Amino acid sequence: MNIVVCIKQVPDTPNIRIDRERMTIIRDGVESIINPLDRIALEAALDLKQKEGGKISVLTMGPSQSEEALREAMAAGADEAILLTDPHFAGADTLATSKVIGRAISRMDPFPDLILCGKQTIDSDTGHVGPQLAEELNWPQVCGVTEIHVEMNALVVKQVSDGFQNTYRVSFPALLTVSQGLNVPRHIPLGDLEQAFSNGRVIRWGLKDLNLRPEEVGFSGSATTVVRLYRPPQKRKGEVVSGSSQTLAEHLIAKLVSLSILDEDEAE
Amino acid sequence: MKTKQNRDWEGVWVFGDYRNYFQNRVTLQLIAKGNQLARNLGVDLTVLVLGSQIHQYAMEYTAHGADVVMVVDHPNLKNYQVETYVRVVSKLVESFRPEIFLAGATAFGREFFPRLAKRLNTGLSADCVSLEIEAERRLLIQTTPAFGGELLADIITPEYRPQMATVHPDVFEERIHDHEATARILYPEVEIEAEERVQLIRSKPDQSRKGGLEEAEIVVVGGKGLGSKENFQMLFELARLLGGDVGATRPVILSGWTEESRLLGQTGKSVKPKLLITAGTSGAVQYTTGIQGAETIIAINRDPHAPIFKMADLGLVGDVKTVLSLLLENLKKRL
Amino acid sequence: MLQYSRLILMLKCPESLVSAHHNYLVNQMLTPGFLLGDPDSREGFYFLADVVPVGQSEPRVYARLYDAQGAFVLEIEPKEIVENPLGCVHQSFPGGYRIAFPSGESLLSVQTESFANGFLTRMQGKLYDQEGKLRIEPSYDAIQIHGEVGLWLKEPFRKR
Repeated sequence: MNIVVCIKQVPDTPNIRIDRERMTIIRDGVESIINPLDRIALEAALDLKQKEGGKISVLTMGPSQSEEALREAMAAGADEAILLTDPHFAGADTLATSKVIGRAISRMDPFPDLILCGKQTIDSDTGHVGPQLAEELNWPQVCGVTEIHVEMNALVVKQVSDGFQNTYRVSFPALLTVSQGLNVPRHIPLGDLEQAFSNGRVIRWGLKDLNLRPEEVGFSGSATTVVRLYRPPQKRKGEVVSGSSQTLAEHLIAKLVSLSILDEDEAE
Repeated sequence: MKTKQNRDWEGVWVFGDYRNYFQNRVTLQLIAKGNQLARNLGVDLTVLVLGSQIHQYAMEYTAHGADVVMVVDHPNLKNYQVETYVRVVSKLVESFRPEIFLAGATAFGREFFPRLAKRLNTGLSADCVSLEIEAERRLLIQTTPAFGGELLADIITPEYRPQMATVHPDVFEERIHDHEATARILYPEVEIEAEERVQLIRSKPDQSRKGGLEEAEIVVVGGKGLGSKENFQMLFELARLLGGDVGATRPVILSGWTEESRLLGQTGKSVKPKLLITAGTSGAVQYTTGIQGAETIIAINRDPHAPIFKMADLGLVGDVKTVLSLLLENLKKRL
Repeated sequence: MLQYSRLILMLKCPESLVSAHHNYLVNQMLTPGFLLGDPDSREGFYFLADVVPVGQSEPRVYARLYDAQGAFVLEIEPKEIVENPLGCVHQSFPGGYRIAFPSGESLLSVQTESFANGFLTRMQGKLYDQEGKLRIEPSYDAIQIHGEVGLWLKEPFRKR
């Protein structure tokens, strides 16, 4: 089975800084990780490869530094890594992103049987790329999968959706987005990471390699535009208290009383 | 699709997601908001209803403020299925050309609407928490959360139509049921091709949330800052005394201090309890997305600069283990 | 409001009015009420499915019906048969009623489904006018009207 896992490198920091000119977040110099749900997708691919054999390709669209995420994926066990990178790709919404990734997958040889990705990312949170990529390729999709089983010529998958647990049979080739609960990704040994960073080969494709025009990709190929990026008004009081542990405990108790979780008059 | 003549596109549409109807109110909330947007633009609000024997929902949407109800009633539409629905709805959009199309951010909405937007080659924003009209250019200003809600983005779709958005439940308020209401009802004759490459084998109510972490009124969460598995155990005692449940961050799970089912955050559960006490957690975004819906958050951490304090109603800077021990002592005396 | 001139609809699109409270299912569409013929005339076919006001839940059907040869059969009002030369019977059952010939054969059935906040009435019957022309016939789980509908009703035609 030839599997493509789409991953995204996302910032790993709670301290986000905003680039007000470009209306995006500042990624330079910021610690990055593989989007957690994409890591789960990769783990699912590794499980399937173990059972069915085949090849795993990891793919990402991003700036040059996204290569780190691909190498981490190779250290985990992916066979091949493809970085879709080009100045023209920047500023893409999901419409343009799915166009680029779809075109890249179309030129893969051998053509994949299955695409796996995380249901959504922790930065943009839309969850759109999976379904839009499936549409770009004209493949069936199931989103938010919590179980994957391989049958003769199809996949049987489970999904929890709006209070229902659904079981589907999907024909190949198919795209699945994965949800938490599918698996717990294995730890990547440090040695494997070092190997991947020194030896692994990452294929790079840009605009010309994908035979795309500038107006189809990136900012130009996007239908939506971010006009403002800002912090929501602080809705929490944010009272921060220091002091002895006794003082802190008293504050805590007082708060519980004020919330009517504890009664007032109990003796200390 | 990309359009030079935005004036060719007119009308506000809402997709009628009527599954779990009486609990799931998001379509009704969207009808109320959609109505307001439609008045702003001087157009009708149309609610689109697909299914089989769906007369009741056409009438409910009428009662809740639809100007027009558009119905496609056919046995092949009985189950909500992404590909079939995308085919049918895209034909309707291409024929009727609404300028705005909204859907609730239910699981189905978030699976169906992006594929539909791609089929229509137009823009879609996800899980909006605010919608406004910029009247001059007839633009929908779509406000969506990013970074688990740490940031908000205002988005527009200037040159493509329809302007599509999925909307977070409980952001807008529905109108009260009006028994006297009437609406126009349209029955477009559209071909139903129901070839599905995704076959539903079985569907049953999901029981996994019942009685679990997501239903607890009080949740106490522990992070790596607790120091050890033994210290983490204190939380179980605390939860028992307060009548709540225990959650954990991923580093705690990875260290084997407790089981995966207690994981909170982007790859775990989301909780909205009345009270959440989070101890020894620094406040990484992957974690905080799972707790930001809590009514009151109390955070305990030894690091005064820990990001968790930015989202707490009460922050206590000190030794987590000692504070918790003192708290437990006090509670045991009272209860 | 939609500008009718601006669109060339690629799809055929039958249209009706829908009420939040009570509708009849006719020509596969919901409608609060409809009228064929002239109920105030002394003779000749008419069929009135009148609008049901909020607060009431029972359908309001008035009709003067003939057979396939054009002979008069009966005249009905919501709860009873008011002119009955053939001795037809009005049979009630849970959720509706039926008008039947003495032979037992059904002439017209009227059934109302209750929802949480509203009602839907489905009728079935093969109904002819004084010239023996078929004016109403069964279609799926309800009825199809032949030819022009006299009037789609938004307000009650007959005030109670």
